[in-house]
Amino acid sequence: MNPLIENIEELESEFFKLMEKLKKDIKRQEKIMSRSDKRQKKEYDELQKRLKEVEKLQQQQKELLDSFIKILAAAIDAKSSYTGGHCERVPEIAIMLAKKANDDEKFDFKIDEKSEREISIAAWLHDCGKVVTPEYVVDKATKLETIYNRIHEIRTRFEVIYRDLIIESLNKKLNGEDEKEVDKWLEKEHEKLKEEFEFVAKANLGGEYMSEKERNKIKEIAKREWLRHFDKTLGLSWAEKERVKPDEKLPVTEKLLADKPEHIIKRDENELEEFQKYGFKIEIPKNLYNYGEIYNLTIPKGTLTKEEFFKIQEHVIMTIKMLENLLFPDDLKNVPLYAGTHHEKLDGSGYPRKLKAKDLPLPSRMLAIADIFEALTAHDRPYKTPKKLSEAIKILTFMVKDGHLDKELFKLFLKSGVYMEYAKKYLKEDQIDEVDIEKYLKMLSEM
Amino acid sequence: MENLHIEATKYTPEINLDAKKGLIQIKGKSYPENTFEFYAPVIEWIKEYFKNPKDETAVEMEIIYFNSSSSKLFFDLFDIFDEMKDKSNIVIKWIYDEENENALEAGEDFIEDFEDLDIRLIAKSE
Repeated sequence: MNPLIENIEELESEFFKLMEKLKKDIKRQEKIMSRSDKRQKKEYDELQKRLKEVEKLQQQQKELLDSFIKILAAAIDAKSSYTGGHCERVPEIAIMLAKKANDDEKFDFKIDEKSEREISIAAWLHDCGKVVTPEYVVDKATKLETIYNRIHEIRTRFEVIYRDLIIESLNKKLNGEDEKEVDKWLEKEHEKLKEEFEFVAKANLGGEYMSEKERNKIKEIAKREWLRHFDKTLGLSWAEKERVKPDEKLPVTEKLLADKPEHIIKRDENELEEFQKYGFKIEIPKNLYNYGEIYNLTIPKGTLTKEEFFKIQEHVIMTIKMLENLLFPDDLKNVPLYAGTHHEKLDGSGYPRKLKAKDLPLPSRMLAIADIFEALTAHDRPYKTPKKLSEAIKILTFMVKDGHLDKELFKLFLKSGVYMEYAKKYLKEDQIDEVDIEKYLKMLSEM
Repeated sequence: MENLHIEATKYTPEINLDAKKGLIQIKGKSYPENTFEFYAPVIEWIKEYFKNPKDETAVEMEIIYFNSSSSKLFFDLFDIFDEMKDKSNIVIKWIYDEENENALEAGEDFIEDFEDLDIRLIAKSE
């Protein structure tokens, strides 16, 4: 064969191979490009989606912050009837003023959306520290007003009667009665008076259950009389004067202990409507407070009147009202439910909504156990002595038995050793005593 | 022959080339600024390895994210494997995350282009 032709044929074959490779390479390049384009589009879409999510979260965060600020302000306002609405109104004035300053050339001051928000938040929160200020200080209307144990006032009345008896005995003697007989009478009367005061003083403590008989005795003691010569409307703030009506004529015969109209503080009628709106099923006492002396001294159990007991239960109502007004983002939407149901009981006897087991998710039940366990074992409450670990667990076990708390969760609380872990961290050493966990677990399993 | 090990960076994968074990491992993200420069020593090492390869060569590639020039480079790399497949029994494991569709598609492209290579797609779940 002609070498030249052979060479050409060889070249031709090389050329075709090269062409094949080029074709393959181009195909690959196209594939890579189209894959890359597709991926780019996907990545861009994803990026846009994420951006939208971030923007949404930012907006929700802003709303959460705003609503948080507002409920905090509302809580401060709600604490004191004398400052009601203050935190809400100050921002109104502040922003009105800021806008005027913005328009006036005399002021080197400009506001935009951002600085307006800044001023507004500051105004809403300007009194936020007041959540820790005691009410009786905020609302102190006269110099002598304070939280006060009225046993001191009542003791003074006993002192008055003590002296009245002496005066009566002297009068008797002046009238020529037998001195020895009168002295004997006085001694007897004084003894009786002292015994009555001691009885009233003991009733004031409210440690044990008060029987019908004991309550009647208070009402009997209350009937003693003394003469008041001074005007009871002097030295009162205008608000108190609205309740305390002046005497027609002095002196006035007073009972030693009494329930008087001025002892009653009426509840705002709007409040009842508000409670219904939120679906609270707890029974609301007609009055806000009742300071009646007999009324308070004859409380059968504990130291709280039904009005005060409600006031304490109201804290969870306040929690719900506050949290339900917060615009929680989706992933926090259960916060009001969990926080607002920690006093509900599985059998529907709790408060404030009398919810039943089916409405109470696990986190609510966990909070309920935690809340009670903490309250029982806390050693920093002035009004009660801390319980020992064994007592606390016994009480919780009975609450499970009574259908108030979740049995399985409480078993877990014991079995997992959470109770001990907490006790070691927060309880005083002498509170941590021996607890037969196995016994309780067995008891719980048999319930 | 010396082993070659390159640590991962933010843009480049961890590379493990072990001649004695017959192991070629690339693991991580691959979007270097200059892909061909970055992979040059790798390609050089692999070409050198196949002058005297082990009977069995295990290739493990687990690429989370890669740019298009990396994709091109991997085709070039597979071309080398394709040429050398008679000198060593090459098993290529292309490991991808279940949720990483791009990595799966790339693996499928390799299988399509290199019918004679033993390429195994291995899904990994987190």
